[in-house]
Amino acid sequence: MKAAIWAGVNEVAVEEVDEPQLLNDHDVILKISKTVTCGSDLHLIGGYIPAMRAGDVLGHEFTGTVVERGKAVTKVQVGDRVVVPSFIACGHCWYCSQELYSLCDNGNPNPGITEGLWGQSPGGCFGYSHAMGGFAGSHAEYMRVPYADVGCFVVPDAVSDTRALFASDSVTTGWTGAHLGGTKPGDVVAVWGAGAVGQMAARAAILLGAEQVVVIDRLPERLAQVRQHIGAEAVDYSTTDVVAELRERTGGRGPDVCIEAVGMEAHSTGIQGAFDQVKQQLRLQTDRPSAVREAIRACRKGGSVFVLGVFAGPVDKFPLGAAMNKGLTVRGAQQHGQRYVPEILAHMESGALTTEHLATHTMPLSQAAEGYRIFKEKEDGCVRTVFEPGG
Amino acid sequence: MTGPLQQVLGKAAEFGGTALAKLQHTHVPGVGQASTTEPREVAAARWRAVTVFRDDLAGPFPELEALGPDLEVRMQPAPGDRGTELSARFHGTPTDEQVGELRAALRRTKQLAEVGEVLRVDPQPHGTRKATLQGAALEGAAARAPKEGVL
Ligand SMILES: NC(=O)c1ccc[n+]([C@@H]2O[C@H](COP(=O)([O-])OP(=O)(O)OC[C@H]3O[C@@H](n4cnc5c(N)ncnc54)[C@H](O)[C@@H]3O)[C@@H](O)[C@H]2O)c1
Ligand SMILES: [Zn+2]
Ligand SMILES: [Zn+2]
Repeated sequence: MKAAIWAGVNEVAVEEVDEPQLLNDHDVILKISKTVTCGSDLHLIGGYIPAMRAGDVLGHEFTGTVVERGKAVTKVQVGDRVVVPSFIACGHCWYCSQELYSLCDNGNPNPGITEGLWGQSPGGCFGYSHAMGGFAGSHAEYMRVPYADVGCFVVPDAVSDTRALFASDSVTTGWTGAHLGGTKPGDVVAVWGAGAVGQMAARAAILLGAEQVVVIDRLPERLAQVRQHIGAEAVDYSTTDVVAELRERTGGRGPDVCIEAVGMEAHSTGIQGAFDQVKQQLRLQTDRPSAVREAIRACRKGGSVFVLGVFAGPVDKFPLGAAMNKGLTVRGAQQHGQRYVPEILAHMESGALTTEHLATHTMPLSQAAEGYRIFKEKEDGCVRTVFEPGG
Repeated sequence: MTGPLQQVLGKAAEFGGTALAKLQHTHVPGVGQASTTEPREVAAARWRAVTVFRDDLAGPFPELEALGPDLEVRMQPAPGDRGTELSARFHGTPTDEQVGELRAALRRTKQLAEVGEVLRVDPQPHGTRKATLQGAALEGAAARAPKEGVL
C-alpha cells in the first residue's frame, strides 16, 4: 500500500510499504478515508524529536472504516465509520480509570526511552517516533489500531469525515487544555497560537462557558479565522505588546486561564522565525518556550496556565518566581482524547462546533511531501493539509 | 552482518542500547540499574515494582517464574484504591541483563492482569530504512527499551 514516511530531517516521501496486520486480539484494521498534518509533525520532521527512524509512517489525526477486527473486539464492528484519538490507551489501568488516557501505563511498548528522559512513561501515540511506542501512523491506505474498543468512536451519520477528522487530535487537544485548565462560566481565557489546536482550545473554552476568549498569533489569515469561525477576539503579537493588551482588555486583572498552543518551536521577535531555523538535531536545550513565559507573565494572580504545545526537554529562563509568587497553577498534558470525543461529536452533530475551515488544503496522499511543505511554510493560508489515501 | 558497513551499524545499535541505559544512570556504577547515586550492589538489590489496577491480583505469574528460583516476589494492596503493588527482586546481586529481564517481565505481567494481552508493535508497515548511524543507534535503543527505564 501507499504511505507517507519520514525519510530524514525535513524529508517526507511517499513509498510502497507492507499492509498492517492484526497483532493483538483487541486490534482493528482501518481503511483510512482522511488523514491530516499536525503542528506536532513539524517537530518530528524537523528533527527536534530525535527518535524517528527513516521509513517511519507519519500521521496521527484521521478517520477511517473498520475492515478487519481482532477476536477480542466487541463494540466496534466491521464497516463502522470511526474517528480515533491519537494517543493509544488500554482502558484498564488506573490512569485510564481516571480518564487521563494519554498517561496510560500500557500503551507504549518502549517505555524505557521516556522513563529515562522524564522519570515516567506516558502512553503511546500513532506515528510519533519510537519514544512514543514506534507505532505506524495514519498517512497510509490502511492502519492498525490497538485497543479498538477504547479508541474507536463511531461518527454520527450527520457528521462529515472532514468535520469528524479533527476530533482525533486538534479538538480533543484544545478541549483538554480548556477543561483541565479549569475554564469556568464567566472566565476570561487567552490562547497563544491560532493553529488548529489553539483555535479549538478557544472554541472549547467558549462552549465551556468562558465569557471572553482572546487568541494570539501573527498570521493574519489565522487571526481572521479566529474572528470568523471561532467567535473569539484576535491579537497580533507582531504589532502588539501582548501582556499590556491583555491587561487592558481584562480590566487590569489578566486572563483567568492561559492556554499555550504553540510548542517548542515558538517564534519570538529577535530570534529567527521558528520555521526558518530548522535545526538538524534536537539538543535538549533548544525547546523555545517564549509563549509559555508570556502566558505566565500575563496570567491573573491565582490563575492557571495550561501547556498544550509539545516540549521534549528542559527549557531556559522559566519564570518560576512569577509562577510561585502569583500563586499560579501550571499544568500540561498530551490530549486525553477518549474522555472528550463523545462530547465533541455531539457538539459537531448539533453544529455548535465546526472544523471544516481548518482543512484549507486537500490533496491525494501521493502529494504528502508538497502538503507538508505548504503546511510548514504556512503558504497560501495553510492551516491543515488533509490527505486522501483513496484520492 | 559481515561487511564493514554492517559492522559499524551493529556497533551503532549496541551504542543506542547503551546510551539509553546511560540516560537514566549517568554515574557509571549505576549503569543498568535504577539509580544515579547508589553503589551498583545497592541499586541492584532494590525491589522493582509495578502497581496493577486490580485488588484481586493473584499468581501464578509465569513471566516472573521464568526468571528462576532466585527471584523473590511480594504483593501488597496499594493505597487509595489503586490496586495491588507487585514487587520482585533477585537474591544476591543480579546482572544488568537480569534486571532488564525483570523490568520487562513485570511490565508484561501488569498488562496481562489489566488488559489480558501484551501490546505488540512489530512487525508493522514502514518505508525504506536507510542505513545510517543514527538510525541504527535508535533501533538499538528501541530494541532495548522494554528492558530499560527507571523501574
Ligand atoms: N498536547 C497535545 O496532545 C497536542 C496535540 C496536538 C498538537 N500539540 C501541539 O500543539 C502545538 C500547536 O499545534 P498546531 O497543530 O496548532 O500547530 P501550528 O504549527 O499549526 O500552529 C502554531 C501556531 O503558533 C503560532 N506562534 C508561533 N510562535 C508564537 C508566539 N510566540 N505566540 C503566539 N503564537 C505563536 C504560529 O504562528 C502558528 O500559527 C504544537 O506544539 C503541537 O505539537 C499538542
Ligand atoms: Zn497532533
Ligand atoms: Zn491504560
